[in-house]
Amino acid sequence: MTFFSTRWLFAAVLGLAMAAGLAAPAEAQKRQNTIRFAYDQVPENVDPFFNNVRIGVIIAHQVWDTLIYRDPKTNEYRGQLATAWRWIDEKTLELDLRRGVKFHNGAEFTADDVVFTLNFVANPANRSTTQSNVNWIDRAEKIDAHKVRIITKRPFPAAIEYLAGPIVIHPAAYYQQVGPKGMNEKPVGSGPYRVVDHQIGRSITLQRNPDYFRDGPKPQPQIERIVIRFIPDRQTQVAEMLSGGLDFIMNIAPDQAQQMRAVPTLQIVSGGTMRIVFLNFATTENSPAPQLRDVRVRRAIAHAIDRQTMARQLVGEGSQVINAICFPSQFGCDASQAPVYDFDLGKARALMAEAGFPNGFDIELHAYRERNQSEAMINYLRAIGIRATLRFGQYAAMRDQVRANRAAMAHQTWGSFSINDTSASTPVYYKGLDDDISRDPKVIELLERGDTVTDPQQRIAAYREAHRIIGEQVYSVPLYNLVTFYAASRDLEFAAYPDELPRFWEMRWK
Amino acid sequence: MFSYTLKRLALAALVALAVSALAFVLLRLSGDVAIAIAGEGARAEDIAAVRQQYGLDRPLVVQYFDWLGRTLTGDFGQSLYFRTPVFGLIADKIQTTLILALAAILFALALSIPLGVMAAVWQNSWIDRLCLWIAVAGQALPNFFFALCLIMVFSIGLGWLPVSGTDGWENFIMPTVALGYYVTPPFMRLVRAGMVEVLNADYIRTARAKGLPSSTVIIRHGLRNALVPVVALTAVQLGFLLGGSIVIETVFALDGLGYLAYQAIAQKDFPVIQAVLMLLSIGYVLLTLAADLVNAWIDPRIRVG
Amino acid sequence: MSDIVQVPPVVAAVAPSRFRRRVLKHKGLLIGSAIFAAIVLMALLAPFVSPHDPYAQDLTNRLVPPVWYERGSWLHPLGTDNLGRDYLSRTLYGAQISLLIGLSVMLISGFIGTGLGLAAGYFGGRVDLVVTFIITTRLALPVVLVALAVVAMVGGTLGIVIAVLGLLKWDRFAVVMRSATQQVRSLDYVEAARAAGASQLRIILREVLPNVMPHLIVVGTVEAASAILLEAALSFLGLGVQPPLPSWGLMISEAKNFMFFSFWLIAIPGSALALLVLAINMIGDGLRDVTAPDSRS
Repeated sequence: MTFFSTRWLFAAVLGLAMAAGLAAPAEAQKRQNTIRFAYDQVPENVDPFFNNVRIGVIIAHQVWDTLIYRDPKTNEYRGQLATAWRWIDEKTLELDLRRGVKFHNGAEFTADDVVFTLNFVANPANRSTTQSNVNWIDRAEKIDAHKVRIITKRPFPAAIEYLAGPIVIHPAAYYQQVGPKGMNEKPVGSGPYRVVDHQIGRSITLQRNPDYFRDGPKPQPQIERIVIRFIPDRQTQVAEMLSGGLDFIMNIAPDQAQQMRAVPTLQIVSGGTMRIVFLNFATTENSPAPQLRDVRVRRAIAHAIDRQTMARQLVGEGSQVINAICFPSQFGCDASQAPVYDFDLGKARALMAEAGFPNGFDIELHAYRERNQSEAMINYLRAIGIRATLRFGQYAAMRDQVRANRAAMAHQTWGSFSINDTSASTPVYYKGLDDDISRDPKVIELLERGDTVTDPQQRIAAYREAHRIIGEQVYSVPLYNLVTFYAASRDLEFAAYPDELPRFWEMRWK
Repeated sequence: MFSYTLKRLALAALVALAVSALAFVLLRLSGDVAIAIAGEGARAEDIAAVRQQYGLDRPLVVQYFDWLGRTLTGDFGQSLYFRTPVFGLIADKIQTTLILALAAILFALALSIPLGVMAAVWQNSWIDRLCLWIAVAGQALPNFFFALCLIMVFSIGLGWLPVSGTDGWENFIMPTVALGYYVTPPFMRLVRAGMVEVLNADYIRTARAKGLPSSTVIIRHGLRNALVPVVALTAVQLGFLLGGSIVIETVFALDGLGYLAYQAIAQKDFPVIQAVLMLLSIGYVLLTLAADLVNAWIDPRIRVG
Repeated sequence: MSDIVQVPPVVAAVAPSRFRRRVLKHKGLLIGSAIFAAIVLMALLAPFVSPHDPYAQDLTNRLVPPVWYERGSWLHPLGTDNLGRDYLSRTLYGAQISLLIGLSVMLISGFIGTGLGLAAGYFGGRVDLVVTFIITTRLALPVVLVALAVVAMVGGTLGIVIAVLGLLKWDRFAVVMRSATQQVRSLDYVEAARAAGASQLRIILREVLPNVMPHLIVVGTVEAASAILLEAALSFLGLGVQPPLPSWGLMISEAKNFMFFSFWLIAIPGSALALLVLAINMIGDGLRDVTAPDSRS
C-alpha cells in the first residue's frame, strides 16, 4: 500500500527536486530581477474600462494611475495624478493636477487627458464595460492646463472612492487616435510599469518605468520586469510554482495552499478580501425558473445552506458570513435590519412543502469560480429536494447568461473594484442596472437615494432599508467573503491586501 | 489515375462544403447570435440594429452563402470576446499546433515502428505481447492525467523540463510525448500486421533461405513494404491530432489552436469556434486527399476499386 | 476513404465447440472478462454495498485519507473527498455512471454506424457513395472540439453528453461494417439466399448481420472504452458530466487539484478507470483473436 502513500510520494518528488537543484531557477530570477506571474483568465481587453476581470484591475494599477490614491493600510486618500481636490457644490468636484508627469509615450499629462478620458468613458455609447463605475459622471471640464472640474449627474458623495479605484487616466491624444482597441494592443499609461510586450491571450510583459514621477503615493518600482502569463489550468500553475517556473500566483485553493506550506522554496500568504459571495436568484416574470418567484422557495434555500460551515471549511481563515450584498467595511453596508437565515433543514423543508414543492424541482446553477463551493451548495440543495445541475463557464459567458435572464441561480462573487462604499456593491445587482434580475422598484428607489443623498446618516438609512427588503425577499442568499491565498517564491517580499491587488511596484527581493 | 484523382477531388470538395454547412448550422443552434454580438447590456433596439447590420434577419441559406463567400476570401469575421479579426488570432496560433501535431506523429512513428517490427518478428511470443502492452498501456489513462504525471516527474521531480509555455523547443517535449503516445497503438498494429504478412511472403522466405542476414531482410525487404499503408494512416492521424490537442494544449498552456478553441468555447466566441472548426476539418480533408492520391500512385489497384 | 481500419477476411462462423475451446485458452480474454464482470457487479450492487450516500457531504470531515493511512478509519475505507463525501461510495456509484456512458454511447453509435455500414456494403452503388460521403464528412469533424462546443451550448447533463458522443462516434462502426458486409455479400450462401428470393431485410438480418457480428463486437469494445475516456477529457475541460454526479472522469478531474499532495484522491478513480478501459480493450483484442480464422496459439 506504500504506493498510495502521500508522504512517500511527496518525499520522493521533493527529494528528486532537491537533487535537481529546485531552488536554482528562482535564484536566477532574483538575479534577473524578474517576477514571473501567472493568471488563469485572459482579459478581453487590457484597457481598464473595457474588462471587468481581476487581472484587468491588477494590470490597470501597474500601468496606469488614478487621480486619487487610497492607502490600502489606512484607507486615507492621497493625491496621485491630482494633488488637491474640493467640492465646489453638491455636484461639482474641482481637482488640481500634478505637474511634470509623463505618459509612457512621452506625452505630458495635462487637464486635457482627464477631460477626454472621463468624457469618453462616461458616454454610454462608448460601452465601457462596468457602467456603474462611470455613469455618475455627467461631464468633465478643463479650467486650465492643470485644473479640472468633474460634474456629476446627481449628488454623488462616493466619487472620490471611484476616482481612487477603477477610473484611470489615459493619454488623450493617443486614446483619441487608437481607441480601446489600440489601447489593448499597445497600452500606454503613466504608471510605475509600462507594457513592453502584449501577446493577446498569451502573455503581457511589464517593464519598470524609469521616469515614473517621484513624491507620489506609489514608490519607485524595484523589480525590473513582470512577466504575466495566462495559464488556464490552476494545476499547471501550481506545478510551475513547485518546479520554480513561476515566482508568484494567486487564488490558490485553500486546501492546496495548506499543503503547499510544506514546500521549503515557497511562502504562502493569505488575506481576507472584500470579495463577497452570494447566490443570486432570477425573480422577475421572465425568470427561467418560475419556482424561484415564490419567496418561500427562496427562504427555503437560504435556510438549507450552511454558510458558517462553508466559510470555515471551504474558504478558510479570514472569511466571515455576511447578511447583506455588500462588504461589511463598506460605507452604508448596514445589515442590522436584514433577517438572518440560520441553517435549518426542518424549516427549509417545511417552506418547500408550503410552496407546493415537497418533492423539489430541477434547476441550473450558473457559476464561474470556486467550483467546489458551487458543488457544496448543490449538495445542500439536494437535501431539500432541489436538484441543481452546474453550468460552469467563464465570467463573461455567465454574465451574458445572467443579463439575458437565462440563469435562474447564479453563484456570484463581487469585489466592488475594491471601492469601500456600498454604492459599488449592492446597486450593481439591485438598482435596475444590467445585472439586476429581481428589479424591485422599491429597492431601486432606496438605492438611488443612498447613492445620491449627501447626508451620511440619510445615506445609511436608505441603504439599511434596501438591505432589509433584499433580505426579506431573499433576492439573493448572502454567503461570505473570500480569502485569497498567494504563493510566492520565498525570496520575494510582498504584502497581501483586502483588495486582492498585488502591488508589484512595492515588491522587492529579500 | 486522372479520373480517380478527379473523383477524389470532387469528394473532397463536397465534404469540405458539407463541413462548412455543419459548422455554420451547429453554432446557430445556440440561439440568437445578434444578442451575443450586441454585447452585454445591449438594449432591444441595439440588438435589432445588429441583426440588420449583420444581415441576421435574412434567410439562413442566404446568410450561409454570404458567410461562406467571406470565409473563402479569408475574412473570418470579428472575435466577439477580443473584438479583433479572427484571422489574426488564428494565424498567430496555427504554427504552434502544427509543430505539436507533427512532432507527436514523429514520436508515434519512432515508437511504433520498432515495436511493430519486433512484435512481428517474434510473433506470438512474450515479446510480441510486451510490445503491444507498451503501446496500449498508457491509453487506459485519460490523457490529461498522463500529462500531469509527466509534469510531476520531469518538471517537479527531476526539474528537467519546463511545465508550460510556448517559448522554446523544451516546451514541446512533454506535450509531444503525451499526445503522440495516444496515437501509437493503431500505428503499431498496422506495422505489425504488415510485417507479419510480408515475413510470410514467398520472396522473404526465399531471401532468408538464400542466407541473407535476417536483419537486412527484415529492414530492406520487409519494412519497406509494410510501411506503405502507414503513410496513409499518418495523414489521417495528423488530421486527428490537429483536432485532438485541445486537452494537451490546455494542460501545458501551449498557445495553439486547441487552446484558442477552448477559450472561445468558454467565452461563447462563435466566430472563432467556427473558424477553428472549419480550419481543422478542411485540414483533415486535404490531408486524407493527399494520402489517397499518394496511395493510388503507389498501388494501382486502388484506382480501380 | 483512407481511414485505415483493419478488416480481417470474413469466414463462416467458427464452430461453437472450437470457439469455446479458443475462448477458454485465451488468457487475456478471460482476465479482461473477469475484471469487467467485477466492475459491472460493483455498479449493480452499489446501492446495496455502499456504506454511505454518495451525495451526502460533511464539510467538517473533508479529505479524510483512506484506511491504510494513520489518520484513516474504517468508517470511510477509501477516505472522503474535498466536500467530505464518502469516496468508496462515490467510486462504486461512479462505476454506474462510467459504464452507462460507455455502453450507451456504444449502443447509439453502434446502431447508427451499423445501419449505415450495412446499407453501404450490401447495396453498393449509389447508396455506398452517399454513405461514404457521410462517413468522410463525419471523419473530417474533430470530435473533441465539436463535442465541447455542443455541450457548452446546450449544457452538460449526462443525457446530453451521451447523446453527443453517440452521435459523433459511429464512424468506425460504419467503416468496418461496410467492408465486412461487402465481403459477406459475395459469399455463396448469401448469393443463394438472394437467388431463393428471400427479402432484402431478411437476408441482411439473418445472413449478413450474424456473420459480421464479431467485427461489430470488437469495434464496440474500442468505442465504449474511448467514450469513457472522452467523457473524462470533457470533464477535465469542465464540460463533461456535471457535479454532483460521480462519474469516474469527473472524480479524476476534480481530484487533479490534489494530485501533487494527496495522490490517492486521483489514484483511486484513476486506477478504477484504467482497469475498466484495459479490461474492455483486453476483451476486444481477445475476441478479435478467437474469432479470427488463423487464431493465435
